[in-house]
Amino acid sequence: MWLALVLIIVLTVLSIYGAFIGAERAQQFFNQPTLAVYWTALAVLLIAGIAAFRRLLRVPGLLLMHAGCVLILVGGMWGSQGGHNIQKKLFGIDKIRSGRMAIYENSSENHVALDGIREQKELPFSLKLNDFRIEYYQPVYLQIETADGNVQQVIAEVGRQIDLGAEHGKAEIVRMFENFKMSIQDGKTTAYEDPSPGLNPALAVRITPPSGEATTHHVFSLHPGFGHTQGGPKMIYDRPAYRAISDYISELEVIDREGNIVAKKDIEVNHPLHYGGYHFYQSSYDDKAGQYTVLQVVSDTGLYVVYAGYWMLCLGVIWHLWLRHIFSRFKAKNT
Amino acid sequence: MEIKYTIQGLLVYMTIAAYLLAFVTTILRRQKVGHIIYLIGFAIAVCSFGYRWYHVRHVPLQNLFEVFLCLGMIYPVSLFCRRALRVGGYAADMLIGAIVLFPAGFVFNAQPQQLPPALQCWLFTPHVAVYMFSYIFMAKATFQAICQLAGRNPKPGENLLGPEESTYRIICIGFPLLTLGLILGSYWGKLAWGDYWGWDPKELWSLVSWLVFLGYFHFRYMFGKKHSRINSLWAIAGMAAIIITLLWVNLSRLFPGLHSYAT
Repeated sequence: MWLALVLIIVLTVLSIYGAFIGAERAQQFFNQPTLAVYWTALAVLLIAGIAAFRRLLRVPGLLLMHAGCVLILVGGMWGSQGGHNIQKKLFGIDKIRSGRMAIYENSSENHVALDGIREQKELPFSLKLNDFRIEYYQPVYLQIETADGNVQQVIAEVGRQIDLGAEHGKAEIVRMFENFKMSIQDGKTTAYEDPSPGLNPALAVRITPPSGEATTHHVFSLHPGFGHTQGGPKMIYDRPAYRAISDYISELEVIDREGNIVAKKDIEVNHPLHYGGYHFYQSSYDDKAGQYTVLQVVSDTGLYVVYAGYWMLCLGVIWHLWLRHIFSRFKAKNT
Repeated sequence: MEIKYTIQGLLVYMTIAAYLLAFVTTILRRQKVGHIIYLIGFAIAVCSFGYRWYHVRHVPLQNLFEVFLCLGMIYPVSLFCRRALRVGGYAADMLIGAIVLFPAGFVFNAQPQQLPPALQCWLFTPHVAVYMFSYIFMAKATFQAICQLAGRNPKPGENLLGPEESTYRIICIGFPLLTLGLILGSYWGKLAWGDYWGWDPKELWSLVSWLVFLGYFHFRYMFGKKHSRINSLWAIAGMAAIIITLLWVNLSRLFPGLHSYAT
């Protein structure tokens, strides 16, 4: 028991030290070989304790708690970088522990840049990004007023169509810009999204009159009224200066080596994709032009052993400290 | 320190006032009146929490202001401890309620915030709520441990347990909640950040809190009530770790980490 208490105190002191050095250094610290000896000693002591102390075997709550801790330690070590290295040496299982992959819209990728080292590895399948988008809490609106005074307001999103009536035809939002810029080459103007820092939100709206000749107009949130044409509709891009992000979404397809789509998922924060022994998380994105997404790739080795340990620990603690007392009270009342 | 001239602020101040009045009335031996005022204070605390919920349109457990607002609803815990566990410290609970609401009323920013993507998860409410419950229980256990160190025992005829036994009983209730909070947080970390354990300062301090109470159980199992003062010191050390986890990690620049949105 003294040894158990000493190991608990040692882990407490190490955790306090780890909290002061920051997450990144703490991760390296707790994964170094010396600490692996400590983790192993802790797991061995727990197993020895279960074998040596009859009470731990007889009392189900205590058994569940201690066995749960063993599973958490074993699963954690098995799923660590060291565990992956051992699996490669012993069983030839060459799995990526963790890394990141950047995928451009409408292209597929299977290269993963490994965390901590300048090395890339290939996944046995590819991921295709169909679309990456950011959703906001505050919606943005396009207000459109035709010459006859008819006013309509719609949520501004690409593809949104507005019927302006028989006289004026229809309008469609064809593009949204965060930082609108325009280039002129050979007398031809081209609107583009400027990735450099700046804010000039704009919408490109295509207006198709009944006569059929479509024209594209740009509506600016910071410059209302700019670009209004004589006799044409008046448009206002209603967008707050600051918008809180509600979600990041990557629409993904998993493609096997034969080119077949084997899985589809729109991944978001808290909703990763699980495929082929890996979890894929929304990690970052192209904050300038929104053209690519960055996914975090994490191996699931050892994960379910840890989860089993969690269940056992929870059940054990709740049973031992709550339920068995409640049941014994009920029994005492009934007898 | 700022005074909040809002309905929310008013509700917080009314709760603090009711809890303090209930405390004074109780120590002046007007227990029944004190109980009624305590109950009124609790009702205002619930209204305050509900108002905040309506105002921000999500369960208000996102930042320190909201968390302390939740901690202020201490009444059911005191009632449970008194009725089911035969643990005293009823008047102290009123004071604890007023103390935890003080930072909500005068220190923390009450500006409503929208939930960032990482917090939009079904685990958000259970993870934070079980931690809050465990913290209230552990605060009560600490009060009993201090009573034990100070040699204060319940009066004969009160039908209450001694402070050492009371500390143990309350920790027995709080520890499973602490465990559940840690495990739910770890599971959520896997969903949101890709790892069930990220060695983040908040995670490590919450592990420290758990380990200290684990040490308490092991020590008490080894020696029973033989070293009851050391048992009490374990409990107080556990509460110190909880305070660091809840406050220092979020407010100090010493511990930058993934949980910084909670400030």
